[in-house]
Amino acid sequence: MIALLDSVPLPNLPAWSTVLAVAPAMAAGITSFAVRRTSVATSWRLGQAATGAMGLAALALTAVRVGMGSMANGLVRVDNVTVSVLMLICLVGAVVVRYSSTYLRGDPHERRYVCRLLATLAAVSLVVVANQIVVLVAAWTAASVALHGLLTFFGDRPVAVAIAHKKFLLARCADACMLAATVAFGLTFSTLRIDEIVVRAVASAALPWGARVGIMLVAVAAVLKCAQLPFHGWLIQVMEAPTPVSALLHAGVVNLGGLVLLRFAPLVDRAVETRTLLVIVGVLTAVIASLVMTTRVSVKVALAWSTCAQMGFMLMQCGLGIWEMALLHLLAHSVYKAHAFLSAGGTVRNTQRRQLAIPPDPPHVRALVAGTLIAVAATVAVGAAWALSPGTAPLSATAWVLLGIVALALVPLTTPRHGRANSSLLAQAVVVPVVYVALHDLFGRWVPHARTTPIALLAVTSIGFGVLFVAQTLFLVAPHGRIARRIRPWIYAGLFLDETFTRLAFAVSAPPAPHARATPLPRAWVVTADPAPL
Amino acid sequence: MTTTVDSETPAAVRSAIDGACDRVAPTWPLDRFIAVNPYWGWRQLPIGDAAARLGALAGTPLTMPRAWFYDEWASGRIADRHLDAAAVVAGDPDLAAAARELVHAPHPSQTPALTRLPLVSDIIDAAPVPGPVPGRTWSDLIAHQIGQHCAGHFDEWQATWPGDCDHGLFASWCASPAVTHGFRWRDGAGWARRQLDSLPATPSDAVAFIVHELGIADEVCEAYLTAVLAAVNGWAAWCAYRRFQARLADRDDGTIVELLAIRLGWEWLLATDGDSTGDTTRTLGSLSGAWNGAGAVVDAMRQSQRLDWVLQTALERTYQDTLIDGFATARPAGDSAGVQAVFCIDVRSEVFRRALKATSAAVQTRGFAGFFGLPISYSPAGGAMTRPQLPGLLAPVLNVVDVATDRFGRPVSIKSSDVLAERQRRDAFRHLPSSIFSFVETMGIGYLVKLAKAALPHRHRPAKWEHEAIDRAHERVRPRLALIDDDPAAAAALAHRVLTGMGLLDGFAPLVMLCGHGSLSANNPHSAGLDCGACGGQTGEVNARVLADILNDGPVRRELAALGVDVPASTWFVAGLHTTTTDQVELFDTDVAPASHVERLSELQGWLRGGGEAARAERAGSLGLGTLAASTQRLERAVMERATDWSQVRPEWGLADNAAFVVAPRWRTRHLDLEGRCFLHDYDWSTDPDLAVLTLIMTAPMVVTNWINLQYHASTVDNGRYGSGDKTLHNVVGGNIGVFEGNGGDLRIGLAIQSLHDGHTLRHHPLRLSVFIEAPRTAIDTVIDAQPVVRDLVLHGWLNLLRIEPSNGVVEERTTAGWTSRPAHPQPKGATR
Repeated sequence: MIALLDSVPLPNLPAWSTVLAVAPAMAAGITSFAVRRTSVATSWRLGQAATGAMGLAALALTAVRVGMGSMANGLVRVDNVTVSVLMLICLVGAVVVRYSSTYLRGDPHERRYVCRLLATLAAVSLVVVANQIVVLVAAWTAASVALHGLLTFFGDRPVAVAIAHKKFLLARCADACMLAATVAFGLTFSTLRIDEIVVRAVASAALPWGARVGIMLVAVAAVLKCAQLPFHGWLIQVMEAPTPVSALLHAGVVNLGGLVLLRFAPLVDRAVETRTLLVIVGVLTAVIASLVMTTRVSVKVALAWSTCAQMGFMLMQCGLGIWEMALLHLLAHSVYKAHAFLSAGGTVRNTQRRQLAIPPDPPHVRALVAGTLIAVAATVAVGAAWALSPGTAPLSATAWVLLGIVALALVPLTTPRHGRANSSLLAQAVVVPVVYVALHDLFGRWVPHARTTPIALLAVTSIGFGVLFVAQTLFLVAPHGRIARRIRPWIYAGLFLDETFTRLAFAVSAPPAPHARATPLPRAWVVTADPAPL
Repeated sequence: MTTTVDSETPAAVRSAIDGACDRVAPTWPLDRFIAVNPYWGWRQLPIGDAAARLGALAGTPLTMPRAWFYDEWASGRIADRHLDAAAVVAGDPDLAAAARELVHAPHPSQTPALTRLPLVSDIIDAAPVPGPVPGRTWSDLIAHQIGQHCAGHFDEWQATWPGDCDHGLFASWCASPAVTHGFRWRDGAGWARRQLDSLPATPSDAVAFIVHELGIADEVCEAYLTAVLAAVNGWAAWCAYRRFQARLADRDDGTIVELLAIRLGWEWLLATDGDSTGDTTRTLGSLSGAWNGAGAVVDAMRQSQRLDWVLQTALERTYQDTLIDGFATARPAGDSAGVQAVFCIDVRSEVFRRALKATSAAVQTRGFAGFFGLPISYSPAGGAMTRPQLPGLLAPVLNVVDVATDRFGRPVSIKSSDVLAERQRRDAFRHLPSSIFSFVETMGIGYLVKLAKAALPHRHRPAKWEHEAIDRAHERVRPRLALIDDDPAAAAALAHRVLTGMGLLDGFAPLVMLCGHGSLSANNPHSAGLDCGACGGQTGEVNARVLADILNDGPVRRELAALGVDVPASTWFVAGLHTTTTDQVELFDTDVAPASHVERLSELQGWLRGGGEAARAERAGSLGLGTLAASTQRLERAVMERATDWSQVRPEWGLADNAAFVVAPRWRTRHLDLEGRCFLHDYDWSTDPDLAVLTLIMTAPMVVTNWINLQYHASTVDNGRYGSGDKTLHNVVGGNIGVFEGNGGDLRIGLAIQSLHDGHTLRHHPLRLSVFIEAPRTAIDTVIDAQPVVRDLVLHGWLNLLRIEPSNGVVEERTTAGWTSRPAHPQPKGATR
């Protein structure tokens, strides 16, 4: 078994493979410049061709990885994480470009859009393959800057400009953290190759303090860029950009924090203060953001709160050291969220479908208790079967905590209604943990690593998700009860965290003024009347 | 909820509240998105007066910018002589010179700015003090906060943790921490809390209290309240919808007053924020200073807009000429036909009817409201939902339910499977906070397939969502009106009314097609807006099938005969549905047609295919598919792919460019290419001695066409207020209430930019509807005199009413002064569109 995320030095990657690894970024990057000089129709064709080329290069790179194993050099690395995330980016990129080519048709600034979209994809593809920390930092910054151009695509909208500015400030803070981390790692390990940093860090008996600082800074950058509380406001409010931009942001950009942490996984595992930060921030964000999500009134904003929570969950997994699940979460959430955003226009039809059904009564407490017991029993049975099957290790405390979260998730499927359980749903409730265990196992082989998790962090996780389940039960059972009614306005307001943060951030740097933009339809020219002389 | 206007409230304020609230037109939810004339509440005023007030109070124009008229003149769409005529109509012939000067000038001139009277929020925003947040104005933030509050209050389908609906909109706003803690008040959150707690609990009392505190005089109170409501126009329209629905059911709803109180509450908080500094006195001084001069502002605006109305009128008159010329050359045609096909009056039917006529001379088409006069609601099989299938102005009286038969035609009861209940639970697994993480980790990867599938082109029509819950064992499911079995005489009376309205009481062809219409689009929040507006934003399938069912029923036919309508035994009614996006027509229930009609039906299907091909070829250019027009198969495939494409924001052009409504026998227009711009309603005045049919047409279809026409008009001339902005930013609110443009803000009503503009040119030319009715003067005047709504629309200029003299096809127009003749002016082809 290759200790992929652990301390084994990777064999040298041949030069031709380097070309292949940077090919997706080059294809998108060069096209991004080329489309400035073409007609609108050509720019879309070029954009689609570029995503096609990206996909082919990513496939070829996957073949290289399968045929020749994990490899790295001073610039790029090709391993399972690289190829799986790169394939994801190429798929999302292709879908988003194709979608946009119809969706944005007729906009006065279509070409600018294509250009920025491809530039973002180029930068993101480079982040994914980078093994040189300077390249990683530069590409991550470039992705954020290119995305900024997409978020301000409607630059005449004051909200769009203000929110993008808020994100800009946070992203530059994150960049500064990454630069400082680069310096710390460089000074500590005398190398800027990520794989070498990892190998040397693991080789030392205790993690040098420079590395501890460095990895903490990387984690802070990830927290900032993954829109964790209380820095989440921008992610929630960037619905001021066209839908496919949201899809790309939520599926391919906001999750890069998780990818970067994956690169430094062994360092994170050895820095307990960094793990603590990730778990606490991640759990708090997952719990609060998912609760806020349930109160949202517009579809895209609900999806954004969900992303915020999911990123919290992913960072929590990084902190707990379950890297295989963090990677799975990153990939699965991306395709799910890309689809959810791109199909958000179907909300009305979905509402009509839901109107066909008789609205359910709030579940009875007894039914919920029964449902919880069934869910726990099903999950324990699956977990035990897995643990007892030949060739698997006994279940660790971490695994039991994770299975506990799965069990609580199953409760909506297992809760009896009108006194009886639905057999088809019960079957699904068994399938879910089976799939979970199977994917856990599969990804465990895909990105193997050694794991130890401090009990305290598991306790934080357990408490967090326990509280979440209780809160959920509360509003399900008594949505108009005294407690639910008292809490809800605060949850609805997101605890005013963003209002406070925005005031502080804009006190540091005020957003620029919106600029004029060509508009197809006339805009009323209105002046406010002067008051008559008193 | 009905106690929002309290008897304690001073009478002057009470009438001001009523006046301001009555100005707001309703907006329907997205799943029933019918067109609404957003100026409906202003119809009691002449359009020029209304425009001046809307400009001064809401900052909204009712006409395009002058530069646009300049271009229209340059393109030949405004004739000089009509500038003169329009000035005469406006009562000021001197304006003609100014209008001519404007369009003849070497450069387009700019429309003068609209001068809007300020609210407190405007005064604070303009003051040299720091805003609430850098880069944001109070006006924006207030609109956003109210938007979030209203959405939270009215939402039924989005949030899984429901909001507090027991308390009123206003009470929950006062209690909410969003106002006190979401903003930096100069004297702190505690101050804001005390202010809110000190407001009267009854919304109308709160309004009276605040109006008094702000020093608004009684004379301008209604105007000021109108301006306040205009600042939350979208949600006001939603509240107006609630009131409209309540009143249809003989109840009332006062949420709009609560909304008014909330927006006024903001005015008051802003005015009194930091009152220790003396700012309050200055602010209130500015406010009353501006509003005391309100009359002068409105007068100045009316004066300056007179020129715009001359340009608008001239544009409409020039368009009318193209029709007037055509009417004069019409010749009555013989009336024998193998198939009579009744289509909706919708402008999209005109294209198809013309194409169908070109395919087969045996088809005679007629125009009638697409809900076929049936006052029904519909409950799809196996579901718990009932929806209206008739114009929004009416309330349904009969319910249609699905019935099922097995393979042998025997009725079976419909058991809805557990599909729906299961789906609810799976939705919960996907959406509840404890579940979303595990859902993503176990099911998320599966979306890879969904994502790829959705991105690839589709060539098939998706299955009907209404019937997803039905067990597949049922062979056939049909909508059925119970009245047919319960009371054939009543069903016959209903059918008789419908046939009278259609003017189809005799001369039945062997096959009569009743053709409703609907659209096909994917991932489109506003898809109901492309469906049949007369059917309440649904497809017309149910109505067509039910009417055919009634008219094919033996006992009903016997009762009809007793009423004097003899439907020959050899006549069969067949229901159809015209999909306007693809121009395909599907026929229903052909399996129950008698053997004698099978051949005719297949012949009709052939003609419909041919008509569809011709109609698609005609529309191909407007869809950017002009290069495929020659290849019928490739074009049909391309149109289908377009209709099912999840990224398509312009599946079809809907009713864009509608400009006229012709109420006349079909032969009057049959020889004309009306370019899909005309609503067509068949009407023969000679068979309508008591004017019952004409009254119905002028009070129902004419009002509906006016609503459609002015919805397109308003969305075009001021998309920021009466349109929904850019479709790429749409964000569905509350599952079906409406959309936000982007993150939040006010609820957006009306049409998206993409529904009006193709990126290069405007697809809707904002012309007020020109209604041509073929009837004697006295008949039309009688209806105008008897019907206040018609009188308002016609005499106040909300539409143009013209009359075709039945004997010779000569046209007259109705002005406030009476009838004046409109001689034909044959023009060189291509000079106008």
